[in-house]
Amino acid sequence: MTFAFETPWALSGLVLILLPLLDNGVGKTPYPWLRLIPEDPLSRLFSLCLHLLGMAAVAALILGLAGLYRTGQKIERIGHGAHIVLLLDRSNSMDNTFAGRTPSGDEESKADAARRLLTGFVDSRKQDLIGLAEYSTAPLFIMPLTDNKQALQAAIAATKTPALAYTHISKGLAIALSYFKQQPLTGARIVLLVSDGAAAIDPDNEQKLREWFKQYPVSLYWIYLRTEGSPGIDTFPEDSRNDNAQAMPERYLHLFFKSLNIPYQAYQAESPDAVQQAIADIDRLENRPLHYWQRLPKQDLSNVCYLWAVILMLLLLGLKFCEVRR
Amino acid sequence: MIKQAFKDYRVVCLLLALTAMAIMFIYPGEKRIQPVYRLIFIVDITRSMNATDYQINGKAVSRLDTVKQTLRDLLLKLPCQSEVGLGIFTERRSALLFEPLEICSSYAEIDSTIARLDWRMAWAADSRIAKGLLSTLDMLQKRDSAILFITDGQEAPPVNPRYRTDFSSIKKRVKGMIIGTGGLNPVPIPKFNANGGQNGFYTPDDVPHRSTFGLPPSGSEQVEGYNARNAAFGSEAAVGNEHLSALHESYLQQLAVETGLGYARLVDLKALETLQTGGLAEPQAVVADVRWRAALTAWILLLFCFVPLPAKFTNKGHQ
Repeated sequence: MTFAFETPWALSGLVLILLPLLDNGVGKTPYPWLRLIPEDPLSRLFSLCLHLLGMAAVAALILGLAGLYRTGQKIERIGHGAHIVLLLDRSNSMDNTFAGRTPSGDEESKADAARRLLTGFVDSRKQDLIGLAEYSTAPLFIMPLTDNKQALQAAIAATKTPALAYTHISKGLAIALSYFKQQPLTGARIVLLVSDGAAAIDPDNEQKLREWFKQYPVSLYWIYLRTEGSPGIDTFPEDSRNDNAQAMPERYLHLFFKSLNIPYQAYQAESPDAVQQAIADIDRLENRPLHYWQRLPKQDLSNVCYLWAVILMLLLLGLKFCEVRR
Repeated sequence: MIKQAFKDYRVVCLLLALTAMAIMFIYPGEKRIQPVYRLIFIVDITRSMNATDYQINGKAVSRLDTVKQTLRDLLLKLPCQSEVGLGIFTERRSALLFEPLEICSSYAEIDSTIARLDWRMAWAADSRIAKGLLSTLDMLQKRDSAILFITDGQEAPPVNPRYRTDFSSIKKRVKGMIIGTGGLNPVPIPKFNANGGQNGFYTPDDVPHRSTFGLPPSGSEQVEGYNARNAAFGSEAAVGNEHLSALHESYLQQLAVETGLGYARLVDLKALETLQTGGLAEPQAVVADVRWRAALTAWILLLFCFVPLPAKFTNKGHQ
């Protein structure tokens, strides 16, 4: 917790605390001979009070003028939540419908369905830190892990713009894992991959990904938006010659994920309803206790200063009416 | 006695000061018109933006890094309630990373996303500036944001004059500016390998020096070796300096005129006035904090109570 000021230069006014330090603000009455007046400890005490009250009032106004605020306050909390990285496929095919057509009128494209459901998902996960990454041919860093739902919604809404190019899944996974690099390990870590297809992962990248998945323990959820007629993740090819990563990238990606020894769940969604089911599942499953520090926003204390100034000035005014005047 | 007390100027000062404070608590703010900005930055992340022709603290810095630094600095200068969106340009179109966000509540998010902009985000390698500008403006014209298209103007491959982009469909429909980056002297473009390490610079053999798509530019009949069917572009090998990159300012200014956008250089973006003169500021009513006025008044009145005055100025008529 630290205190800081909006306009620190206003603090130079504190010099004028000297005025109430030197003068107690009581009208002076001339006496012919001061020794005539007896020693009066009570009056001395009141005089001291007047000095102090005056100094405090002047200081309170200055602190208010300088815009005193408190920042960096943290509350330790145990909540239910997770660090979630949403990894979105922005390849061209996402702009098609689940039936693999260009959407016409009342149909919803896969990207639309994903956007609609992720919007709801982000809103429902109140205590999570969520980040957003996208990939097509190249990975895109979109939003860091944050609890700022407005920013996340703005990023999800931006996927309404046309999709980009091809599917380079290994780069996408790499950028998603990079989000956890500087995060303390607490609560659940989730990568939620939303894609409508896969691509072969080359051996170099596979090695690196395996390393990173071991290094940053995450649970992986893959929502596979399956286009009608395309092979599923569990489809076994009829012809064994087609059983390779180039011909069946989805099946091989699924096998790769299963071989990682991490909590992994795949959802094959052929319709927007199925996507909803997958997201509801994650909502239910990923609620492990999360130990975190909640940062409180900056607290403006200038009004408190002003209020104190008023109280002090009222006291001074009250004492004024107690003054003996001759 | 109370009557006597009011003869003391200090009591009057204290009462006035308290009145000022009362007014302050009743009217803490005042409505004011303040310029705010609604901007979408579109940053060119093509290879030529890696050319290092800027300097920060005596160190050569790439155009892209300079753009990032400038935008992050600008973010601090924009008034609250301004909104900023971010997109990247490569190939022949742009990708919007996020819709405009209020900068004071989402500063950390916007700032870190700008900081992570990277040339490796490019999903394809061409740099067709004019086409990209058209598709960007077309994509974003429904939004009420001004667009800042930040580029060095290096078309790769070079444009065939026969196929110039026609901006008439969006001319003057979109507010915004083209921001030119880079130096005026051509510098080599760094070349990177698959792992991101620098691998020398692009050489003349690495890049196309003319576009051979479609029909040749008009007037090609005079070119040496011209044959309408077999050598429409002539027989000479294309030579050029496309492997070097400089700010193509006159080209960008021309694009600005054709699209109805403004033009400024990146260094100008350091000052908010550039955006103001570009007509991008929107007046908006904001509640300004005016508590300082009353507080200052009260403070001065309070100080008056403690000015040590010689006895003859006080309690007159009581001697």
